[in-house]
Amino acid sequence: MATSNKLISVQHLVKEYNNGTVKALNDCSLNIAQGEVVAIIGPSGSGKSTLLRSLNLLEVPTSGQIIFDGVNLADKSVDINLHRQKMGMVFQHFNLFPHKTVLQNITMAPLALKKKTPEEAQKQAMGLLERIGLADKANEYPNMLSGGQKQRIAIVRALAMDPEVMLFDEPTSALDPEMVGEVLDLMRSLAKDGMTMAVVTHEMGFAREVADRVVFMAEGKILEEGSPSDLFDYPKDPRLQDFLSKVL
Amino acid sequence: MWWTNLFKDMSSTSFFNFSFLPAYAGYFLQGMAYTLLLAVVSVALAVIPALLLALMRLSKRKAIQCVSGAYIAVFRSTPLLVQLSIIYFGLFNAISIPRITILGFVDLSRFIPGVVALALNSSAYVAEIFRAGILAVDKGQTEAARSLGLSSWQSMKLVVLPQAIKNVLPALANEIVTMVKESSICSMLGMAELMFVSKTVATGTYITLAPYTIAALIYFCINYPASKAIEAIERRMRRGDKQ
Repeated sequence: MATSNKLISVQHLVKEYNNGTVKALNDCSLNIAQGEVVAIIGPSGSGKSTLLRSLNLLEVPTSGQIIFDGVNLADKSVDINLHRQKMGMVFQHFNLFPHKTVLQNITMAPLALKKKTPEEAQKQAMGLLERIGLADKANEYPNMLSGGQKQRIAIVRALAMDPEVMLFDEPTSALDPEMVGEVLDLMRSLAKDGMTMAVVTHEMGFAREVADRVVFMAEGKILEEGSPSDLFDYPKDPRLQDFLSKVL
Repeated sequence: MWWTNLFKDMSSTSFFNFSFLPAYAGYFLQGMAYTLLLAVVSVALAVIPALLLALMRLSKRKAIQCVSGAYIAVFRSTPLLVQLSIIYFGLFNAISIPRITILGFVDLSRFIPGVVALALNSSAYVAEIFRAGILAVDKGQTEAARSLGLSSWQSMKLVVLPQAIKNVLPALANEIVTMVKESSICSMLGMAELMFVSKTVATGTYITLAPYTIAALIYFCINYPASKAIEAIERRMRRGDKQ
């Protein structure tokens, strides 16, 4: 089963709450290849976010394995902080640090973890800000920015750690409709650059257009996965058919 | 002074027989300074232990949680006067402090035990203030910091604490206001703060009530404007957060 381009391999992941009475994840297995964009869709409460947050152990799974760079992250002896540096994460509510400027938001982690010198970090941050057209906001505080700007800065904050994979947890769900586009554009351009991405999303158009593979979840299980055209045009599982009939 | 005649016919138990003031006004000011010193220094000393207690209370390890929980429980559930007495007669019986007087009226051999007792007491209350402040910082902040690879201590130090401390500053200032009042208990142990001064003047002049009226006025004139100012700052901070 060893394939060289498999970046993340999730095997039989289970997440239980309240001593097993609630199963948020019920035996989920999923592979993500280098450079692949995987969209995870499904009704709310289906476990999509739990699965994504398990990948960098923000949720600690009850059992199962998460193999990343050949290491099982679910193993308690693993230094998860080291591996998280290689997995960028973007949240629904941005979670920018309000007491730091935009520039400091981006340079904080590379500096604190001594990945870069102050000059390198600053130069990289300004480069990233220029890429998203927000270089003039470098010294502003997050509360001066729009939601779309905040989310794009949250994305480059994660990119500043030079991650191998980017995890997106409903990145556009908290945005006003007119700001969704600018965030999706940035994600699209990341995908084009070959970034490996796992995206929990309700943007079916984006999933269809950008994802290499779409995963459908319901009730803590992965019920169907495949190429966007297979999944959206020829859904097999009745629950996926039902879900698509409601959202499309 | 001309106005001392006003008090000539007043009884010694009148609320407003201030005939002692020309002789003792300076003494009252010293008492006020002593009280402010006690309050500010003891809360300042309480900050670091309180932060430690709060972090211990939020620790994942049960044993560490318990130590901090026990400390807070003991200091919050026993009277300050009892704590003061135990620390003064117990702890500082073993540690003797030389009788050095600073600023002309603060005798360190009494001031230091008093300040230590107040600080130990205050740290239990301030710890709860810090704990609430830390818990009030959105969980997403910690998650964002941890997702970047920061350790839990780095996240606490760089992301959570700076935001928590800003949130608790008004509550901390309120603790000083409380301490200004609570420190009056130190008069029982002969610390020359405002309450002690009033008692001394009342005993020395046989004017048994009015010195306490002056004390009440001074306490009020410190605390009321201070708490109003804190409220105003709190309102402004809340407005700032909404943007």
